[in-house]
Amino acid sequence: MPSMDDLTPGKRTEGYLGQRVQVLKASMFLTSRLFFADPQWVIPNIIAPFIFTLVAFELFDGQTSSGSFLLYLVLGSGLMGMWGTTIYASANSIGFDRWNGTMESTLAAPMPLSWIALGRVLFNTLQGVLTAVFILVIGIAWFRTGFTLVNPPAFFLASVSTFLSLSTFGLLMTTVLLLSRKGGFITNSMEIPVYIATGTMFPVILLPIVYLPFAFMLAPTWGIDAIRIAALPNYVGLPTTYWQDMAIMAVETLAYLALAFFLFKRVEAYAKKIGTLEEY
Amino acid sequence: MGGTLSYPHTDVGIPREPYQVLVLGSPSAESSEWAVSVKGLTREYTTRNFFGGVARSTWALSGVDFQVAVGELFGLIGPNGAGKTTTIKILTTLLTPTGGDATILGLDVRKDLYEIRRRIGIVFGGERGLYNRVSAVDNLRYFSDLYGVDSGVAKKRIPQLLEVVGLADRAQERVEKYSRGMKQRLHIAKALVHDPELIFLDEPTIGLDPAGARDIRNMVRELKAQGKTILLTTHYMFEAEELCQRVGVISKGKIVALDTPSDLKNMVRDISVIDLRTYGATMEYVEALRALPSVVRVVADLDSEEQSIRVQTPMGADLLPQVVAALPEGTKIIDRTIKEPTLEDAYLRLVEE
Repeated sequence: MPSMDDLTPGKRTEGYLGQRVQVLKASMFLTSRLFFADPQWVIPNIIAPFIFTLVAFELFDGQTSSGSFLLYLVLGSGLMGMWGTTIYASANSIGFDRWNGTMESTLAAPMPLSWIALGRVLFNTLQGVLTAVFILVIGIAWFRTGFTLVNPPAFFLASVSTFLSLSTFGLLMTTVLLLSRKGGFITNSMEIPVYIATGTMFPVILLPIVYLPFAFMLAPTWGIDAIRIAALPNYVGLPTTYWQDMAIMAVETLAYLALAFFLFKRVEAYAKKIGTLEEY
Repeated sequence: MGGTLSYPHTDVGIPREPYQVLVLGSPSAESSEWAVSVKGLTREYTTRNFFGGVARSTWALSGVDFQVAVGELFGLIGPNGAGKTTTIKILTTLLTPTGGDATILGLDVRKDLYEIRRRIGIVFGGERGLYNRVSAVDNLRYFSDLYGVDSGVAKKRIPQLLEVVGLADRAQERVEKYSRGMKQRLHIAKALVHDPELIFLDEPTIGLDPAGARDIRNMVRELKAQGKTILLTTHYMFEAEELCQRVGVISKGKIVALDTPSDLKNMVRDISVIDLRTYGATMEYVEALRALPSVVRVVADLDSEEQSIRVQTPMGADLLPQVVAALPEGTKIIDRTIKEPTLEDAYLRLVEE
């Protein structure tokens, strides 16, 4: 058996950005390994979307040959999936560490927790994207539905931006969970209101006017509008153009990101002060 | 001074009186010479009521002082709730101290969090700290990335570490399938993945079978031989005696003694220990022994079929007739030995004072 003298000496990755990218990749990779290690992932990501799609196609029998129908279905389910996985899985990824007893090990690492959490949130949000892609595949391959986009590059750009925006929002939510297990109550209670307020279920413009300020503060609201403008012909949504939607979303996302990193720093310091990091 | 270490500030004398806290120098201007330097460390835990007021306050540490030299294997022992884990958490930057100062490799635990974390490794005892649903390789790869280990180095170092801790042939299996001892060996590999200078071992052999515990102790010895500084907490006195160059005894949030194991044992050189193995002994017999005039202390483990009773007395073998006479009906002595006091005897005296 080799001895400890035979070990290759440790050497660190150079550079501020290089170290953070390394952590981001590691965090995404581990989250994916943990995700696929649990056989239950098939239920929300494969079986449930399949049943959902099946029911939708049966309900709208006769109208499903239109490409717009499939797009509505893909966008609705995909965005709901993205938000659902963001709010639950991202929030629970830190809760999981507390439950699993790995909270201290994670916090003991020489890297701000925000970067570790961001990797987890990115992977979890990506799950929602995969759900949307899966529904698209079912629609085209199983139900032989046509599929056209008004502006494919703009659609792609808006989708990626909305994915990043949702991830940032999820990161903000994670700070709540870091403080206490009771934070789960807050994040869980936000799922449905955010579905409604961001226009995931139906265009925001249909909401009563009193809800609009809340809806406009949510960056994904603008992203979803941009996606629909780029994807659907004759779409009537917010009174903004595609690029205006994208600009507002970018500003709000950056604000979330700054707030999330600030809160992570404060919450991490506070959690160390009160000493409840590992309590489940 | 015991041991072969060369401590900074050796001009400071070491008092020989029992129970006195030994302070090896002052962590002032030259604090960077110490791997660990702790001065007047305090930590208060508060529970708040609904309105935010303090409902309950507990002082887990009430002025802890000690230093650990570079390359030293230092033990921290104490009963449950004495403050060992709180001390370790503060030193590993997981908990903020309420008062006092602590430096790790010359760095402040309040200000230099990330630099300290890069240079230390932590082995938590028990089942905490590993991702059970993934393999040992995945665990090590993840933590090596978190610690910023160069990927080329990690590719070589991870398989080497798995070889060293004897897990190479099970490296791709999920950790949940591992025995308690295997998990503990993986903990050691995890703590070493970034080649730290200082290693904190928080009760690393707790719950292990004798063979597993021996493996871990051998690894600790190897680390020491490599020149690593080690701060070990343990419940097992023989372990501290066997491994540590110096031992700090912590009780009720304070260091009540700090010296080499042999010098700590000298505190109880006035007593002998009668070790009894009995059959059928109950608390009644233990109380009868405690009532004997020259008995200093009785420690008993009555949970097994064969009971183990340890009697501390200055009379040595002369007490045996009284020990036998106190036997209740149905209780038998299977074996009896007169021994020199161990670190455990010194420890018991210190924490009960």
